[in-house]
Amino acid sequence: MDRSGEAAWRPPRSCDDYWSEFRHCKSLRNCFHHYYTYGTSPSCKQWKEDYHNCKEWEKHRGAEAKDALQKSERNRVAEQRNFTPVWELRRDPPRDWHMPLNQEKPQDS
Amino acid sequence: MDQSKQEEEYGYDLFPERKTGNKTGKSIAQSLFTFNHKCQVMLQFATETSPYAKLLLSAMKSSGCKVLKERHFSCEDCDGTVSGGFDADSSQIVLCQNNIHQQSHMNRVVTHELIHAFDHCRAHVDWFNNFRHLACSEIRAANLSGDCSFSNEVSRFNFGLKQHHQECVRGRALRSILAVRKISREEAVKIVDEVFHTCFNDHEPFGRIPHGKKDAGFAYRDYENRDRYYANL
Repeated sequence: MDRSGEAAWRPPRSCDDYWSEFRHCKSLRNCFHHYYTYGTSPSCKQWKEDYHNCKEWEKHRGAEAKDALQKSERNRVAEQRNFTPVWELRRDPPRDWHMPLNQEKPQDS
Repeated sequence: MDQSKQEEEYGYDLFPERKTGNKTGKSIAQSLFTFNHKCQVMLQFATETSPYAKLLLSAMKSSGCKVLKERHFSCEDCDGTVSGGFDADSSQIVLCQNNIHQQSHMNRVVTHELIHAFDHCRAHVDWFNNFRHLACSEIRAANLSGDCSFSNEVSRFNFGLKQHHQECVRGRALRSILAVRKISREEAVKIVDEVFHTCFNDHEPFGRIPHGKKDAGFAYRDYENRDRYYANL
C-alpha cells in the first residue's frame, strides 16, 4: 500500500482562493453580470462550503472534507465540459505556426 | 480560383495591406509618428498588462503556439470600421491601426483575435470552408473578450439587461460572419443558432466568462495554478 500519494494530497485550490471566489461571487458587480448574462442571480454557496471543507481539512486532515472538495471540483470541471465540440481537437499545433512569413507553406494539415 | 474573387470571398478585401506586393517600407519619421507606432505601443501594453491577453498567451504557449509579437501580430491600415482579424493562412493577427485609438479598445481586439488564434492552435478549425467552425470561434470571441460587456453595449446604444449578453454575442457573431463571407443573413442566423449552445458554453482557456478585469484576473490565477488543481482532483 503506497501512502505517499495520499500524504501529498492537498486541496486543488488554496483556502484563500475559495474565500476570494466566494466574496467575488457575492459581490454586487458579479450579481449584476450574472443577471446580464444568464438572467438569474448566481449561486455562491458552493464556494463557501468548499472554503469550510478546505479549512476543515487543513485542521484535521479528514477524509470527508477531502472527498467533499474533490466532488465539488470534479463537478465544476464536468460543468465546463458539458457540451460536444463542433471541431476536432488537434494532437499537435499547426505545422506552419512558427514558419517565417515569406516561406512556401505546405498544404494545410 | 481567381485571386481577387478569393480575396473577396474570404474577407481579405477588408485588409488591403494583406494583398501580395502591397507592403511598403517606412522611414524612421513615419515609423515614430504614425498610427503604426501608436499601434505597436498599445499592443505592447496590452500584452503586458491585460489579464485576458496574458492568459491567452500563456495558454497558447502551453499548446505549442508561442506567440512572437514580430511574427504573429501585424499593425496595418484596414478598410471600413473593422478593428482586426485573424489570418489563418499566415498565422497572423491583424490589428487595424487606423481604427484602434484607445488602449481599452486595443485590449479588447487583441483578446478577441487571440481567441481565434487559440482556437486555430488547439483545434482543426476549417476557417475557409466550414461556416459552423467560423461561427463557433466568433461566438467564443464575442463571449469571452468583453466585446459584449454591459458598458460596451451601452456605448453602442444597445440598451438591454436580462440575458442581453447572449443577444449581443449572437448579433456580433452574425455581423462578423457576414462581414467576411458571402452568405445570406438567413443562412448565417441558422448556422449561429445551430452552434450557439455548444460554443457559448466553451469557455476555454478561461474556465468562466470573464466579465471584467477581476474575473479575468481570477481566471489567470486558476490557469497558473492548473498543475496543482488537476493533480489534486
